[in-house]
Amino acid sequence: MTSRRGFLKSGGLALLGIGLMGGIPAFIAEAAASEKAKNLYKGKKTLVCIFQRGAMDGLMAVTPFTDSYLQAARPTLFVSAAKGAATKPLIDLDGRFGLHPAMASLEPLFRDKRLAIVHGIGSPNNSRSHFDAQDYMESGTPFRKGTSSGWLNRAVGLLGHDGAGTTPFTAVSITSSLPRSFYGDNQAVAVSNLQDFALQMRGNPKGNTLVSQSFEDLYDQTSSDLLKDTGKESFEAMKMLQKADTKNYKPSGGAVYPNSALGNSLKQVAQLIKMNVGLEVAFTESQGWDTHFNQGADTGIFARNVTDLSDCITAFWTDLGTYQDDVTLMSMTEFGRTVHQNGTGGTDHGRGSCNFILGNDVNGGLVHGKVAELAVENLEDGRDLPVTTDFRAVFSEVADQHLSLNNDKVLFPDWNGTKVGVMRK
Amino acid sequence: MKAFSKFLCSVFLLLLSVLLLSSFLSGPSSAKRAVSFPYKHGGLNKRQAAAYLLSRFTYGAKPGQVDQVLSMGLENWFNQQLDAGLPDDSLNKRLSSYDALNLSNAEVLSKYPPGFVVVQMALKDSVISKDSVGKAVDKKAYNNQIQAYMVKKGLKSDQELYKQFISQNILRAAYSNNQLQEVLTDFWFNHFNVSFTKGECAQFIPAYERDIIRPNAAGKFDQLLLASAKSPAMLYFLDNFTSQGAPAPPAPAMNMMMATDAQAKNKAQPVPAAKPKNVPGLNENYAREVMELHTLGVDGGYTQADVTQAARVLTGWTIYPISSIGYGSAMKALVTKIGENNLAAKGFVHEGDFLFTPNRHDKGEKTVLGKHFEANGGYEEGVSLLEMLAHHPSTAKFISRKLAVRFVSDNPPASLINKMAKTFTTQDGDIRAVLMTMVSAPEFWDTKALRQKTKSPFELAISSVRALNADIQQPYQLFNWVSRMGQRIYYYQAPTGFPDRGQYWINTGALLNRMNFGLALASGRIPGVLLNLGALNPDKTATNAEAAMMTYSKIMMPERNMDQTYKRLVPLLQIPDVGAKVNGPGTNVPVSSAPLSPVSNKFSGMDAVSGAEEMNEKKKEMAPVLNNNVLAQVVGILIGSPEFQRR
Repeated sequence: MTSRRGFLKSGGLALLGIGLMGGIPAFIAEAAASEKAKNLYKGKKTLVCIFQRGAMDGLMAVTPFTDSYLQAARPTLFVSAAKGAATKPLIDLDGRFGLHPAMASLEPLFRDKRLAIVHGIGSPNNSRSHFDAQDYMESGTPFRKGTSSGWLNRAVGLLGHDGAGTTPFTAVSITSSLPRSFYGDNQAVAVSNLQDFALQMRGNPKGNTLVSQSFEDLYDQTSSDLLKDTGKESFEAMKMLQKADTKNYKPSGGAVYPNSALGNSLKQVAQLIKMNVGLEVAFTESQGWDTHFNQGADTGIFARNVTDLSDCITAFWTDLGTYQDDVTLMSMTEFGRTVHQNGTGGTDHGRGSCNFILGNDVNGGLVHGKVAELAVENLEDGRDLPVTTDFRAVFSEVADQHLSLNNDKVLFPDWNGTKVGVMRK
Repeated sequence: MKAFSKFLCSVFLLLLSVLLLSSFLSGPSSAKRAVSFPYKHGGLNKRQAAAYLLSRFTYGAKPGQVDQVLSMGLENWFNQQLDAGLPDDSLNKRLSSYDALNLSNAEVLSKYPPGFVVVQMALKDSVISKDSVGKAVDKKAYNNQIQAYMVKKGLKSDQELYKQFISQNILRAAYSNNQLQEVLTDFWFNHFNVSFTKGECAQFIPAYERDIIRPNAAGKFDQLLLASAKSPAMLYFLDNFTSQGAPAPPAPAMNMMMATDAQAKNKAQPVPAAKPKNVPGLNENYAREVMELHTLGVDGGYTQADVTQAARVLTGWTIYPISSIGYGSAMKALVTKIGENNLAAKGFVHEGDFLFTPNRHDKGEKTVLGKHFEANGGYEEGVSLLEMLAHHPSTAKFISRKLAVRFVSDNPPASLINKMAKTFTTQDGDIRAVLMTMVSAPEFWDTKALRQKTKSPFELAISSVRALNADIQQPYQLFNWVSRMGQRIYYYQAPTGFPDRGQYWINTGALLNRMNFGLALASGRIPGVLLNLGALNPDKTATNAEAAMMTYSKIMMPERNMDQTYKRLVPLLQIPDVGAKVNGPGTNVPVSSAPLSPVSNKFSGMDAVSGAEEMNEKKKEMAPVLNNNVLAQVVGILIGSPEFQRR
């Protein structure tokens, strides 16, 4: 609870005061307010997660293109790295793995050693059900359904604020409802649009002022501490966002976000980061990865999906500008897809996939993990890229390192494996 | 004293007449329930006690309902609610426009197949070609083809089914006369949670609530447990439908079970970490959660070994092949081969959508919680396992506590839980009896419990429409609001169900949305939810904002102490010409004319007046005229106020 007071006094009340001092020019007020807030939360590290729902085909995103078994297994899906072929060539990353041509915008980040890839990542539980695999990945306990909390919520708990230093924006999911990863006892909110962080009223401003003043006064007097404290926080959070004018946000560095769900989500995450409101864990989602039918090759459904993913990430990164040092971004997906293409030009539910980690502390420019030759005897159940890296090894390393957490027993209770080296020490 | 016994007498007589009226099945159990509630213990008067009862066992008091409860008598009212036999004609009329509510699972599957099944069927019938699936280029044409195919085949979207189901839930909560039945249905659904987020089980959820949860909501716990264990929704949600027997019973496991619970637990704990690979075919998910979440509770004294053994007991519990499309086609081949008439002779058990198949059952001997199961126990050993769990002392405590958390406070006193658990045990898990024990206990009426529960978003929304006598034409609009406030009903992903505590519901984003909900509802901005605020106050006593606040807070929150609310709000509302301000030049379009929100916030004498000139005349006569916008704002503020967030 002390935390909340801290937040209110230092950031929120300053703004409230300004709100009452009508005479001060708005730009001075805003500058003063943002200066105050900046000092309070400057330098907070933020972990940004993107959950790719539906199971991304890791073998198509990052293709072991020298593997003749893969080429044979995917007569119409395989994209070659050879230039001058019928399809746009893969981007050769290291002589063995090629980035899908539609992900070209990520190449500079990889070359710059800020972007790392882990291949063969997945869950030790071999469920090929979207629901179960997502559930396990988000709870972080791949053999327990009943775990009530999500791993990112436990990460919030491990930030060590013990109440002190949490703000309404410590953990924000830009989704319409709370994701499984955020379930739990620690502060975490879901909001599909930052503009919803406001009292929505029509009519004239005076009447509206009356309404918001009424709510503030009522919550201020209530005998329930929970309602009183949260009420205060809500009004302060609302005012902070109002000042920031989220509606007319202009990304920095010439960044252009794709006009997609993920683009809009990441744009809002960037806004929160740059507002210095204490954001430490952010969650977003990307849909449409369940490509059973006609997933395409260098063009098509999959190519459009990865273009969106890559362009959203690069726009976000550009937009962050000087905040890049404070941010690490990590993608995740519940499992991979079959090595063989199916009868409808797509792939079915498999096991291992790959994920992307972006940040200035990331051991980038490398494809981590183990991917054996895709001969049938090397496949899991004779059909799938085997899981060679437990997702918890990667998630814990990234979260521990970036957010300075140090209790993997809490983060992933049933896991005691070793880390992969995706972060630089 | 004499007056009191007279009162008791009349209560008894009333009770008798209620008994005669109510169904004969539930009659005998009510006869044992002639008690009187110790509300004076907490210093409550009868009126306050009635309001408190309504706050705990309904989705909120309707205007005038406190008086109804008083005239019936508190105990009679509660008994009537436990019996859940009141006619619901007006609700049924509202529900009659939904045609999917009474379909069997098989009918659901054939009429509302999931999207991917429709695609498969269309492919099979060559209505669409493989190449067209998912191609965005001709997406519109493709969608049209699918649409035309569905119309031709008489198929409907599964989303339409879910929408109907959610809508009926909202209508029942808002309008059922048997309110406690609806509250308990919600409670048990959440206890035995399944989720629309899991596609495999989604279609079976409507029948699950209708046939498994609601009919058993105030019955015997073991019946509820058994019915849920055999339901397609649960079998799919926690994967037991796929669980198969392991080849041979593992002998070393016996040692572990000989050890005391504590020892075994310690030993067992590293197991999932050290040895994550599953025994082929065995799926422990249901066996674990039935103990952890449905019966014993996480500290209920079971071990990992018990989980594995219980999973073995429950192998072969699966789903009867409901339809030729979608899931279960493998089992269909087997059943067809054997023939329906030969199933029983071969050791199968077929009850409705449930199937026990001996060929998947682990026939070895097992031991769970010290109880030994002989080899070849078949279906019956699963039944006796669930019966044992249902009657376990840990279960009595766990369920009693959960009920008390729901109906009393987030931290109910241990003495209350003990009383309830005792009844649970002596009355064979009779949920009615446990609730009666709870309400008859002084702890229930302790002033510490009053207003201690925070409404869930669903409770907030439904209590608002009940308090305002709103006419819900488009229930799904309320679902959208409830979701935005943080409770996407039927979509909670974890088998734990929504946490039942205020801290879970109240956070910054959610709280602002609660206020926004109040403002939107009261000003008629929720399409298809119609209000007539003026009609709630036929005496038309509210001629200014302050009076409106006084009048409407009493209607909406009967028997609450509103002094603090008044103290804070009155100065604000008394700002001179507040009405003029909100009605001034900046006022935007009157809400009542907004499209899709045919609200009629008629108020005061104005609705009798027609013609603008006449209205102006009247305005001059009646000095302070309260306009609709001000009234809507006042009511909106009341819904969003902290007091209204509390039950």
